[in-house]
Amino acid sequence: MDTVRLYIRSMGMLLRSHLQYPASFVMQTLAQLVMEAGEMMVVILVVDRFEKLKGWTGGNLFFFFGLMSVSFYITEFFGRGITGDFPSMVRTGKLDTILLRPRGVLTQVLCSGMDPRRITCIAVGTVALIMGSRMSGVEWSALKVLALIESIGMSCLLILGLFMIESIFCIHSVKSVELVNAITYGGRSACQYPIDIYPTPLKVMFTVLAPFALTLHVPAAWILGKPLYGWPIWTVFVTPLSGAAVFFIMTALFHRGMRYYRSTGS
Amino acid sequence: MSYIEVDGLKKTFTVKKKREKGKLLREKQTVEALKGVSFSVEKGELVGYIGPNGAGKSTTVKILSGILTPDGGKANVGGRVPWVDRKEYVKHIGVVFGQRSQLWWDVPIIDSFSLLKDIYKLSSGDYEKRLKELKDALQLEELLRTPLRLLSLGQRMRAELCGSLLHRPELLFLDEPTIGLDAVSKIALRDFLKWENKENGTTIMLTTHDMEDIAALCSRVMVLGHGQKLFDGKLPDLLERFDTVRTVSVKYDGTDISLKVPEGASVSQKDNEFFITYCPKEIPTARLLVALQDAGTISEMTLQPENIDHLIAAMYKELDL
Repeated sequence: MDTVRLYIRSMGMLLRSHLQYPASFVMQTLAQLVMEAGEMMVVILVVDRFEKLKGWTGGNLFFFFGLMSVSFYITEFFGRGITGDFPSMVRTGKLDTILLRPRGVLTQVLCSGMDPRRITCIAVGTVALIMGSRMSGVEWSALKVLALIESIGMSCLLILGLFMIESIFCIHSVKSVELVNAITYGGRSACQYPIDIYPTPLKVMFTVLAPFALTLHVPAAWILGKPLYGWPIWTVFVTPLSGAAVFFIMTALFHRGMRYYRSTGS
Repeated sequence: MSYIEVDGLKKTFTVKKKREKGKLLREKQTVEALKGVSFSVEKGELVGYIGPNGAGKSTTVKILSGILTPDGGKANVGGRVPWVDRKEYVKHIGVVFGQRSQLWWDVPIIDSFSLLKDIYKLSSGDYEKRLKELKDALQLEELLRTPLRLLSLGQRMRAELCGSLLHRPELLFLDEPTIGLDAVSKIALRDFLKWENKENGTTIMLTTHDMEDIAALCSRVMVLGHGQKLFDGKLPDLLERFDTVRTVSVKYDGTDISLKVPEGASVSQKDNEFFITYCPKEIPTARLLVALQDAGTISEMTLQPENIDHLIAAMYKELDL
């Protein structure tokens, strides 16, 4: 409970820090809106050009896009410490400061970054999600809402876990490793479409390495009324847990990595 | 057993060298930052830790504050090993880096302090009492509502000190605390540290390049160079060992001066002023004076003790640092 309280208080403080520069905050938030709306334009154009994509209707595509956007940007909103700031924390020695405090390293890293500018991206995602569900004629039930919430929550953990790979490299090499972006930002771009449109190697990658197929695709398909291969309904609730699994594995590796932390000079 | 016990502390870093021409891989080089440093510090002591850049001072501080794990050796601070159970250990220590801020940049400092209260899980009563004590001693009252980024360096350093002492640490590390401060701020900082040490019995260990800090604060000084401890004792004893050279400046009436000084002393001349550097242990001062008087009529003469910074420089040179 203490940790939650600390996190909420830290977030309040960070929000106030951001609002110290109101003009810059508004401009950047609008810039994010333009960027994310541009991403959505691409989907609109695809839907406009092809009525169906391997059996998925336009509405379905919006739904997938919305689900990915909401998950990804919620993660960036609340998890900025891991998704963006960690490399600079290592480089500037802020991590030393964190190590001097009697709280968990990961807790404090998460407490020291947020990105409220992403709110517009989350809004765009939500609009796409609603549009997609209307166009696909989804009949919502309590179970479907639950599946949606679980899918978003687990995808957030998965994305956080994937960004932690970069953090772990960072602890060793001090520099950030851009290569890892291939599965984080790359994963977002690829998996905002239904994953079964891709060739097998990519399907395997997004099922085993970065299991967006399990956290997003399976529940989304069920919500849209297209269950996979007639799998039983419980799979919809069990497969997304792989997101949590990735997160916990990465957390363990992160703590292992911290043992080899070597700090920077001063 | 002493409060801090350090025995044979070792730390090596691997540094990748720049890739040489015609070689595929970069060569690795190991740098020994600490080669078996041992010392002990009693509770309530105020110890200065000096040495040239790269001597291993910061590495020692980082190991003793639990940030780094050493490659060898033992350390025990108040019955705890710094790098084992970090979370429990850091509750009892405070660290201030002169070049690095630990408070939140964009918010009023009182907000930073109140978040630190949550981080250290302090009770409201303890926190209020301690904050009052510290803000009086550090004259922070008027600054509490100001964001850190708007404070001057001296004000910021006072805020940092307050932040790292809120949880009443038994031990305080200061890594170059007076760097970049003006004379008034330096004196205020030293006075505060003396007060904290006396009033709360806090053990203080500070690294610095400013010998005035050591002279004003520390009863004991340790010299580190090339990852080894070279001296451990009182500052006057350290100075005595290297305080060997005196400089005399002499002005004469008239211009036709032929000065012959005893063997071993060196002379330099600027306009009509002579500077004679000699070692009183080798050449008695009386003998030098006779030689100076023989050369002409002295109009002005000053005898200067060596500047403390020069002494340290001479010591580093003699110890080949």
